Amino acid sequence: MNEVSRQQTRQQPEATSQEAREPQAELAMQPPVDIFEADNALHLLVDMPGVTRDALRIEVDNNVLSLEGDIQLDMPEGMSAIYAEVRAQRYARRFTLSHEIDSDAIAARIDNGVVHVTLPKKQSHHRRRIEVKSA
Amino acid sequence: MFGDLRRFDTGPSRGVDWFRQLMDEMFPESGAADIRSVPRGSYPMINIGRTDDAVRVYVFAAGLAPEVLDVSIQDNVLTVRGERPEASPEAEGGETAFFRRERGTGEFIRTVALPEGLDADRAEANCRNGVVEIHLPKREELKPRRIAIQAT
Repeated sequence: MNEVSRQQTRQQPEATSQEAREPQAELAMQPPVDIFEADNALHLLVDMPGVTRDALRIEVDNNVLSLEGDIQLDMPEGMSAIYAEVRAQRYARRFTLSHEIDSDAIAARIDNGVVHVTLPKKQSHHRRRIEVKSA
Repeated sequence: MFGDLRRFDTGPSRGVDWFRQLMDEMFPESGAADIRSVPRGSYPMINIGRTDDAVRVYVFAAGLAPEVLDVSIQDNVLTVRGERPEASPEAEGGETAFFRRERGTGEFIRTVALPEGLDADRAEANCRNGVVEIHLPKREELKPRRIAIQAT
Protein backbone atom coordinates (compact mmCIF):
# COMPACT_ATOMS: atom_id res chain seq x y z
CA MET A 1 0.00 0.00 0.00
CA ASN A 2 2.70 2.42 0.94
CA GLU A 3 4.67 1.91 -2.20
CA VAL A 4 4.71 5.61 -2.93
CA SER A 5 6.21 6.57 0.38
CA ARG A 6 8.56 3.62 0.28
CA GLN A 7 9.91 4.67 -3.10
CA GLN A 8 10.50 8.14 -1.86
CA THR A 9 12.50 7.01 1.12
CA ARG A 10 14.51 4.81 -1.16
CA GLN A 11 15.34 7.63 -3.50
CA GLN A 12 16.19 10.16 -0.83
CA PRO A 13 17.41 8.18 2.13
CA GLU A 14 18.73 11.12 4.12
CA ALA A 15 16.03 13.63 3.26
CA THR A 16 14.06 14.16 6.44
CA SER A 17 12.87 17.69 5.75
CA GLN A 18 9.29 18.62 4.99
CA GLU A 19 10.01 18.76 1.26
CA ALA A 20 10.68 15.04 1.26
CA ARG A 21 6.99 14.44 1.77
CA GLU A 22 5.55 14.71 -1.68
CA PRO A 23 1.98 15.93 -1.92
CA GLN A 24 1.01 12.66 -3.54
CA ALA A 25 1.90 10.66 -0.46
CA GLU A 26 -0.07 13.10 1.64
CA LEU A 27 -3.06 12.97 -0.66
CA ALA A 28 -6.11 12.16 1.40
CA MET A 29 -9.64 11.35 0.39
CA GLN A 30 -12.62 13.01 1.95
CA PRO A 31 -14.79 10.21 3.23
CA PRO A 32 -18.56 10.65 2.87
CA VAL A 33 -20.35 11.35 6.14
CA ASP A 34 -23.83 11.35 7.60
CA ILE A 35 -24.46 13.72 10.48
CA PHE A 36 -27.62 13.61 12.51
CA GLU A 37 -28.90 14.65 15.87
CA ALA A 38 -30.60 12.19 18.18
CA ASP A 39 -30.86 11.55 21.90
CA ASN A 40 -29.16 14.76 23.01
CA ALA A 41 -26.12 13.97 20.92
CA LEU A 42 -24.78 14.50 17.46
CA HIS A 43 -23.85 11.39 15.53
CA LEU A 44 -21.32 11.09 12.75
CA LEU A 45 -21.20 8.11 10.42
CA VAL A 46 -18.09 8.05 8.25
CA ASP A 47 -17.29 5.54 5.50
CA MET A 48 -13.66 4.51 5.80
CA PRO A 49 -13.32 1.10 4.19
CA GLY A 50 -9.92 -0.49 4.66
CA VAL A 51 -9.17 1.29 7.93
CA THR A 52 -8.52 -0.83 11.00
CA ARG A 53 -9.10 0.27 14.57
CA ASP A 54 -5.37 0.90 15.06
CA ALA A 55 -5.03 2.92 11.87
CA LEU A 56 -7.79 5.33 12.84
CA ARG A 57 -7.02 8.59 14.64
CA ILE A 58 -9.73 10.81 16.05
CA GLU A 59 -8.69 14.01 17.76
CA VAL A 60 -10.34 17.07 19.19
CA ASP A 61 -8.11 20.10 19.25
CA ASN A 62 -9.31 23.60 19.87
CA ASN A 63 -12.90 22.72 19.01
CA VAL A 64 -11.91 21.04 15.75
CA LEU A 65 -12.70 17.38 15.39
CA SER A 66 -10.37 15.61 12.98
CA LEU A 67 -10.75 12.09 11.69
CA GLU A 68 -7.88 10.41 9.92
CA GLY A 69 -7.43 6.85 8.83
CA ASP A 70 -4.80 4.97 6.86
CA ILE A 71 -6.02 2.42 4.35
CA GLN A 72 -4.54 -0.97 5.07
CA LEU A 73 -4.92 -3.44 2.26
CA ASP A 74 -3.49 -6.89 2.00
CA MET A 75 -1.51 -6.62 -1.21
CA PRO A 76 1.05 -9.15 -2.34
CA GLU A 77 4.53 -8.07 -3.32
CA GLY A 78 5.00 -7.21 -6.95
CA MET A 79 1.39 -6.32 -7.63
CA SER A 80 0.73 -3.70 -10.25
CA ALA A 81 -2.46 -1.72 -10.45
CA ILE A 82 -4.57 -1.99 -13.56
CA TYR A 83 -7.55 0.06 -12.45
CA ALA A 84 -8.06 2.22 -9.39
CA GLU A 85 -10.72 4.50 -8.08
CA VAL A 86 -9.24 4.70 -4.61
CA ARG A 87 -5.91 6.34 -5.17
CA ALA A 88 -5.06 7.84 -1.83
CA GLN A 89 -3.49 6.01 1.07
CA ARG A 90 -5.59 7.72 3.68
CA TYR A 91 -8.82 9.44 4.57
CA ALA A 92 -9.02 12.76 6.37
CA ARG A 93 -11.83 15.04 7.36
CA ARG A 94 -12.27 17.85 9.86
CA PHE A 95 -15.27 19.49 11.47
CA THR A 96 -15.63 22.49 13.71
CA LEU A 97 -17.61 21.69 16.83
CA SER A 98 -20.08 24.00 18.43
CA HIS A 99 -19.77 25.03 22.06
CA GLU A 100 -22.52 22.82 23.40
CA ILE A 101 -20.64 19.61 22.59
CA ASP A 102 -19.07 17.93 25.60
CA SER A 103 -15.72 17.16 24.01
CA ASP A 104 -14.63 14.99 26.96
CA ALA A 105 -17.49 12.60 26.38
CA ILE A 106 -16.94 11.96 22.67
CA ALA A 107 -16.97 8.26 21.89
CA ALA A 108 -16.20 6.42 18.67
CA ARG A 109 -16.27 2.92 17.29
CA ILE A 110 -15.45 1.37 13.94
CA ASP A 111 -17.34 -1.53 12.50
CA ASN A 112 -16.76 -2.99 9.05
CA GLY A 113 -15.21 0.20 7.74
CA VAL A 114 -17.87 2.55 9.13
CA VAL A 115 -16.83 4.92 11.90
CA HIS A 116 -19.55 5.99 14.30
CA VAL A 117 -18.67 9.03 16.42
CA THR A 118 -21.06 10.09 19.16
CA LEU A 119 -20.78 13.71 20.27
CA PRO A 120 -22.93 14.22 23.37
CA LYS A 121 -24.20 17.64 24.25
CA LYS A 122 -23.42 19.16 27.61
CA GLN A 123 -26.01 18.51 30.27
CA SER A 124 -27.06 22.15 30.35
CA HIS A 125 -27.93 22.02 26.67
CA HIS A 126 -30.15 18.98 26.77
CA ARG A 127 -33.56 19.38 25.30
CA ARG A 128 -36.19 20.08 27.92
CA ARG A 129 -39.88 19.95 27.59
CA ILE A 130 -41.56 22.88 29.23
CA GLU A 131 -44.77 22.15 30.95
CA VAL A 132 -47.57 24.51 30.05
CA LYS A 133 -49.72 25.12 33.06
CA SER A 134 -53.35 25.87 32.77
CA ALA A 135 -54.41 29.10 34.30
CA MET B 1 0.71 1.57 -5.45
CA PHE B 2 -2.60 2.75 -6.79
CA GLY B 3 -1.29 6.28 -6.55
CA ASP B 4 0.38 6.16 -9.95
CA LEU B 5 -2.83 5.48 -11.81
CA ARG B 6 -3.70 9.05 -12.62
CA ARG B 7 -3.99 8.22 -16.29
CA PHE B 8 -7.16 6.27 -15.53
CA ASP B 9 -8.76 9.39 -14.18
CA THR B 10 -12.49 9.24 -14.66
CA GLY B 11 -12.93 12.59 -13.01
CA PRO B 12 -11.45 14.76 -10.33
CA SER B 13 -11.24 13.37 -6.82
CA ARG B 14 -14.08 14.56 -4.72
CA GLY B 15 -13.24 17.35 -2.39
CA VAL B 16 -9.60 17.40 -3.36
CA ASP B 17 -9.66 19.50 -6.44
CA TRP B 18 -12.78 21.58 -6.68
CA PHE B 19 -11.08 24.12 -8.89
CA ARG B 20 -10.18 21.58 -11.53
CA GLN B 21 -13.69 20.20 -11.34
CA LEU B 22 -15.04 23.65 -12.02
CA MET B 23 -12.71 24.09 -14.96
CA ASP B 24 -13.58 20.66 -16.34
CA GLU B 25 -17.24 21.53 -16.20
CA MET B 26 -16.66 24.78 -18.04
CA PHE B 27 -14.36 23.24 -20.65
CA PRO B 28 -15.32 19.61 -20.99
CA GLU B 29 -12.86 17.21 -22.51
CA SER B 30 -13.68 15.79 -25.89
CA GLY B 31 -12.17 12.41 -24.95
CA ALA B 32 -14.42 9.36 -24.74
CA ALA B 33 -15.16 7.86 -21.36
CA ASP B 34 -15.03 4.16 -20.64
CA ILE B 35 -18.36 2.52 -21.35
CA ARG B 36 -18.73 1.28 -17.78
CA SER B 37 -17.25 4.26 -15.99
CA VAL B 38 -19.29 5.79 -13.22
CA PRO B 39 -19.17 9.20 -11.60
CA ARG B 40 -16.25 9.46 -9.29
CA GLY B 41 -16.95 8.37 -5.75
CA SER B 42 -19.84 6.09 -6.67
CA TYR B 43 -20.41 3.48 -4.02
CA PRO B 44 -18.66 1.09 -3.83
CA MET B 45 -15.30 2.13 -5.23
CA ILE B 46 -13.25 -0.55 -6.92
CA ASN B 47 -9.50 -1.11 -7.33
CA ILE B 48 -7.96 -3.86 -9.42
CA GLY B 49 -4.39 -5.09 -9.18
CA ARG B 50 -2.48 -7.77 -11.00
CA THR B 51 0.29 -10.14 -9.96
CA ASP B 52 2.05 -12.77 -12.02
CA ASP B 53 -0.44 -15.47 -11.16
CA ALA B 54 -3.64 -13.70 -10.17
CA VAL B 55 -5.82 -10.64 -10.39
CA ARG B 56 -7.16 -9.08 -7.22
CA VAL B 57 -10.23 -6.92 -7.04
CA TYR B 58 -10.79 -4.69 -4.01
CA VAL B 59 -14.34 -3.49 -3.46
CA PHE B 60 -14.52 -0.68 -0.91
CA ALA B 61 -17.92 -1.52 0.51
CA ALA B 62 -18.04 0.02 3.96
CA GLY B 63 -20.80 -1.11 6.26
CA LEU B 64 -21.91 -3.97 4.10
CA ALA B 65 -22.44 -7.44 5.50
CA PRO B 66 -20.77 -10.11 3.32
CA GLU B 67 -24.03 -12.03 2.97
CA VAL B 68 -25.88 -9.18 1.23
CA LEU B 69 -23.14 -8.72 -1.36
CA ASP B 70 -23.47 -10.68 -4.54
CA VAL B 71 -20.37 -11.14 -6.70
CA SER B 72 -20.58 -12.86 -10.06
CA ILE B 73 -18.38 -13.26 -13.11
CA GLN B 74 -19.52 -13.92 -16.61
CA ASP B 75 -17.34 -13.65 -19.69
CA ASN B 76 -14.65 -11.72 -17.82
CA VAL B 77 -17.15 -9.17 -16.63
CA LEU B 78 -17.35 -8.86 -12.88
CA THR B 79 -20.63 -7.74 -11.37
CA VAL B 80 -20.99 -6.64 -7.77
CA ARG B 81 -24.45 -5.98 -6.49
CA GLY B 82 -25.98 -5.48 -3.09
CA GLU B 83 -27.98 -3.21 -0.94
CA ARG B 84 -26.83 -1.01 1.86
CA PRO B 85 -29.42 -0.43 4.55
CA GLU B 86 -30.36 3.06 5.62
CA ALA B 87 -28.37 4.37 8.55
CA SER B 88 -30.78 3.85 11.40
CA PRO B 89 -30.53 6.58 13.97
CA GLU B 90 -30.97 5.05 17.38
CA ALA B 91 -33.39 7.72 18.43
CA GLU B 92 -36.02 6.67 20.86
CA GLY B 93 -39.08 8.78 21.02
CA GLY B 94 -37.45 11.80 19.44
CA GLU B 95 -37.25 13.02 15.91
CA THR B 96 -33.94 12.93 14.09
CA ALA B 97 -32.51 15.92 12.32
CA PHE B 98 -30.10 15.17 9.51
CA PHE B 99 -27.46 17.77 8.73
CA ARG B 100 -25.52 15.84 6.14
CA ARG B 101 -26.31 12.76 4.10
CA GLU B 102 -23.42 11.92 1.86
CA ARG B 103 -23.27 8.17 2.35
CA GLY B 104 -25.27 6.41 -0.28
CA THR B 105 -27.87 3.88 0.73
CA GLY B 106 -30.08 1.48 -1.13
CA GLU B 107 -29.41 -0.88 -3.99
CA PHE B 108 -26.31 -0.66 -6.09
CA ILE B 109 -24.81 -2.58 -8.97
CA ARG B 110 -21.35 -2.13 -10.43
CA THR B 111 -19.72 -3.86 -13.37
CA VAL B 112 -16.09 -3.92 -14.43
CA ALA B 113 -14.32 -5.70 -17.26
CA LEU B 114 -11.49 -7.97 -16.19
CA PRO B 115 -8.44 -9.07 -18.15
CA GLU B 116 -8.69 -12.24 -20.20
CA GLY B 117 -7.60 -15.65 -19.00
CA LEU B 118 -8.91 -15.79 -15.43
CA ASP B 119 -10.10 -18.96 -13.80
CA ALA B 120 -13.47 -17.95 -12.38
CA ASP B 121 -14.02 -21.40 -10.87
CA ARG B 122 -11.15 -20.94 -8.45
CA ALA B 123 -12.10 -17.42 -7.42
CA GLU B 124 -12.21 -16.60 -3.73
CA ALA B 125 -13.60 -13.60 -1.90
CA ASN B 126 -13.23 -12.42 1.64
CA CYS B 127 -14.26 -9.35 3.54
CA ARG B 128 -12.16 -7.39 6.01
CA ASN B 129 -12.66 -3.90 7.49
CA GLY B 130 -15.27 -3.05 4.91
CA VAL B 131 -13.15 -4.08 1.93
CA VAL B 132 -14.16 -7.12 -0.09
CA GLU B 133 -11.15 -8.72 -1.70
CA ILE B 134 -11.72 -11.01 -4.67
CA HIS B 135 -8.86 -13.23 -5.66
CA LEU B 136 -9.01 -14.50 -9.25
CA PRO B 137 -6.22 -16.86 -10.26
CA LYS B 138 -4.98 -16.85 -13.82
CA ARG B 139 -5.45 -19.96 -15.86
CA GLU B 140 -2.49 -22.27 -15.67
CA GLU B 141 -1.53 -21.97 -19.33
CA LEU B 142 -1.42 -18.17 -19.16
CA LYS B 143 0.99 -17.83 -16.27
CA PRO B 144 4.43 -16.53 -17.10
CA ARG B 145 6.86 -19.37 -17.67
CA ARG B 146 10.60 -19.48 -17.53
CA ILE B 147 12.18 -21.05 -20.55
CA ALA B 148 15.43 -22.81 -20.00
CA ILE B 149 18.13 -22.18 -22.57
CA GLN B 150 19.95 -25.32 -23.49
CA ALA B 151 23.62 -25.26 -24.28
CA THR B 152 24.50 -27.23 -27.33
